[in-house]
Amino acid sequence: MCGIVGYTGSRKAAPLLLDSLKRLEYRGYDSAGVAIVDKKLRIHKDKGEIDNLRESMPNIPGVYGIAHTRWATHGQPTKDNAHPFADCKGEIAIIHNGIIENYLELKESLIKKGHKFRSETDTETFVHLLEENYTGDLESTFRKVLPMMKGSFAFAAVHSKEKGKIVVARKESPLVLGIGEGENFAASDISALLKETDRVIALHDNEMAVLTPESVEITTFEGKEVTRRPERIKWTVEDAERGGYEHFMLKEIFEQPQAVHNTLLGKVADFDVNRFGRDAFPSIKIVACGTSYHAALAGKYILEDIAKVPTEAQLASEYRYSTAAFGRPLVLLISQSGETTDTLGAAREARRRGRRSLAITNYVGSSITREADDVIYTRAGLEIGVAASKTFLTQLVSLYLLSIQLGLARRTLSFDESRKMKEELRLMPRAVQGVLDEHKKIQKIAKKYHKARDMFFLGRNVNYPIALEGALKMKEISYIHAEGYPAGELKHGPLALVGEKTPIVAVAIKDHTYEKMLGNIKEVSARSSPVIAIASEGDRDIEKYVDDVLYVPDVPAIFTPIPVTVVLQLLAYYAAKERGCSIDKPRHLAKSVTVE
Amino acid sequence: MKAVILAAGEGSRLWPFTYSKPKVMIPVANKPILEYVVRSLVAKGMDDIIMVVGYKKERIMTHFEDGRDYGARIDYAVQKKQLGTAHALLAASKMVKGDFVVLPGDNVIDPKVVEDLLSADESPCALITESEIPSKYGVVQIRSGKIADIMEKPEEMIGNLISTGIYRMSSDAFTRIRSHSRKGFHDLTSVVRDLSSSDDVLAVHTSGKWIDAVYPWDILRVNETVLRDIGEEKSGKVEKNVTIKGPVLIGEESLLRSGSYIQGPVVIGRGCEIGPGTVIYPSTSIGDNVRVSANSVVEESVIMSDATVGPGSHISHCVIGEGAFLRSRFSSSSSTATMEVEGDFHKVGDIGSFLGEDVFCEDGVVASPGSIVGAKSRVGAMRVLRGTIPDKSLVV
Repeated sequence: MCGIVGYTGSRKAAPLLLDSLKRLEYRGYDSAGVAIVDKKLRIHKDKGEIDNLRESMPNIPGVYGIAHTRWATHGQPTKDNAHPFADCKGEIAIIHNGIIENYLELKESLIKKGHKFRSETDTETFVHLLEENYTGDLESTFRKVLPMMKGSFAFAAVHSKEKGKIVVARKESPLVLGIGEGENFAASDISALLKETDRVIALHDNEMAVLTPESVEITTFEGKEVTRRPERIKWTVEDAERGGYEHFMLKEIFEQPQAVHNTLLGKVADFDVNRFGRDAFPSIKIVACGTSYHAALAGKYILEDIAKVPTEAQLASEYRYSTAAFGRPLVLLISQSGETTDTLGAAREARRRGRRSLAITNYVGSSITREADDVIYTRAGLEIGVAASKTFLTQLVSLYLLSIQLGLARRTLSFDESRKMKEELRLMPRAVQGVLDEHKKIQKIAKKYHKARDMFFLGRNVNYPIALEGALKMKEISYIHAEGYPAGELKHGPLALVGEKTPIVAVAIKDHTYEKMLGNIKEVSARSSPVIAIASEGDRDIEKYVDDVLYVPDVPAIFTPIPVTVVLQLLAYYAAKERGCSIDKPRHLAKSVTVE
Repeated sequence: MKAVILAAGEGSRLWPFTYSKPKVMIPVANKPILEYVVRSLVAKGMDDIIMVVGYKKERIMTHFEDGRDYGARIDYAVQKKQLGTAHALLAASKMVKGDFVVLPGDNVIDPKVVEDLLSADESPCALITESEIPSKYGVVQIRSGKIADIMEKPEEMIGNLISTGIYRMSSDAFTRIRSHSRKGFHDLTSVVRDLSSSDDVLAVHTSGKWIDAVYPWDILRVNETVLRDIGEEKSGKVEKNVTIKGPVLIGEESLLRSGSYIQGPVVIGRGCEIGPGTVIYPSTSIGDNVRVSANSVVEESVIMSDATVGPGSHISHCVIGEGAFLRSRFSSSSSTATMEVEGDFHKVGDIGSFLGEDVFCEDGVVASPGSIVGAKSRVGAMRVLRGTIPDKSLVV
């Protein structure tokens, strides 16, 4: 997973490329580089973040070029392994996002033919292959070489003798084209282009394109012409500025009431699920990765509680190994970016198995929207912080919406019940705001416990996945080792690890799990662990059993994940801030994972 | 030239609407007061803006972000303790050089106000306007076009020209403000007053629109004034047999159910559900995601986002806070009432009730004219609300 950008036009390419690249930094940032054609091909690369590259960058004129920010998969994050790569003659430069699976054999045969490799990467084989097969025209050379590549890729290349031309190709890695006036762009995603243009064409799998300042020609790998009109993108670049907040993550956490509004907009009154009616499928299988998988796990409880459909959650990377299913389940795919390789793979697998699929995603026009039969958009807006916040919350909201409508369509929910549930759902922006208003209190508690080395997060029922998500947030941004556990499992293992140095965060909402949760709390406090309870507003009783309490607005039990999530996000954020962590760009992590 | 907007204060006299947001973020005609200031500045080319924020600053930052949606570039300065307007201005002192404009974020202004200020070619200057109730403000006395004195809230009638709190000054003034601040004077009026004793401070008169909101009932007055100038735009879905007269704005995905009667000027936000059979009379603003259920009547009121008005309710000259939930047959008529705000009594004509955010009323609650209900209060069925009720009260 990496970020790539390309520019061809009449403006100086270097600052434009760096600026766009900076917006892709969330995709990876252990090394970066640019290739610009001036009089000849010039490449500059460096280890570390894009700001490093900017500082060490010499003045390179030239009006077309490509740039890359890397997240290492094959080969260490060093300057040598940074993209772009040039061929032996120094005429062609390429950048790549993805993995070339058969690079070892290709590399061997190229070395035998006398090509000199300068890096350990899989990517470099492609540029030597282009050199070896160069026909005098980059486009036809691409067509010749691409069938030899196995794996996933988004490539962009320039040739110093083919002025103003960028050739790009895509297979299972994201790539979009930006259409300007007398200039054109390519990038891994829309956010890199927003400052320059709002007209965007998404490239599909097995398609390539030739960009010049005046034209964009899209063809399939076989050479069939593709005509596709640009879409107008409503997101503006200001979505990508921090606007007074110290971190994007905090900004995004505070945007959640609005994000939830947008998810609900127009869907509360009517949301068409008739095509998923009563007899269409006996069960649901939710497939996702990472934070989206936690939404999937919560979705299991939500769908079963509200719509009474038997539901199973599964990791996308494991879906292909689980071949037996009850009846023919609806496959529900959740991916924020819509580009997550494992989830896309699962979508294809679902189709092979003849399953109907429904995707929940945030990106209009992303790959998953083409792989799935139907799509629900979360409409959370652009999320820059690597740790998901508003996109997770809006995934939950989408799951509630879906459950209510499914319940109605399958007649497991009466009209009156559904109306009451919708009424509650409509008030969720208030529940989120209610937690945000208490952020100072959460900050105080985070400050108290931020020195912990280990933490446990406990939940039951629908808040068990939320405990998992809380632990994930904590570890990914504050680097505190955190584990989420269903509270009942405590005595089957982790209890051996608790003690006065392991704070326990326990979700103890006033519902039918409350008494049992209190029991679990007593278990850990008996072993002198400090306990932070997340409790329902007005529950004074719990203060007797725990060290600290954070209250959430009193909403019906099934909806408590919404406010509880926000508490856990803020807790992780402020703990990370106290520890001085790089919150928006945690080490070794990137936003959308487009490698397997 | 940069503009510094002072938006750090709480505005406690506007409680309960400042429970979770600063005064400048109170919506009139579905836009926060502060947005009118920003838009008027941008309309006259002043797009380089510094906002001094403090109390509940996140609400401001989340709304305006870096300003690009408003055609501006907005930077934020934080005033940690809200001591006064001059003290607030100091928070931005490192971000301005040379001449700049400073203005309060809690007054609705139109572009003409900015234009008048910019037309003066000298700095420092103070923008003044006429007021019908000068005793609420700093009354200025003028000698040959210059400020001679400013009297804060004079009890006697000494003139009707008041300071708008909008000034143009140069960064040299910061030294002066600092020395004042050390003496314990933190408000801009006393700084300008002091400045006028030694230097010439030009008095610039504006005929533009300048309206401030100090008390809860002012929200209705400001809302009414702003609504006079709204356009007409209808998104959303309008069912059969809905009557719409006059200028009415309806946001996307809002649903107007059959038999409703809307008489503009009225603005309805996004994702609302109105009706069936609901009547909305002029000078009413309804925020986003609001439900006004069957057979309710709303007149000259502000209903903020996420609120729910149950069936058969009557709401006249009221301000209903965000997320308030009125189960059914809520009734609040208007008449003259005496209201108490921070120990002072005010006799206000034609006034309904004021419900803070997330107030929850069971069936058949009656709110007497002039009653104020604190945020997150819960009211039992058939109760009659009178006077001022604190936040998080339980009325049963």
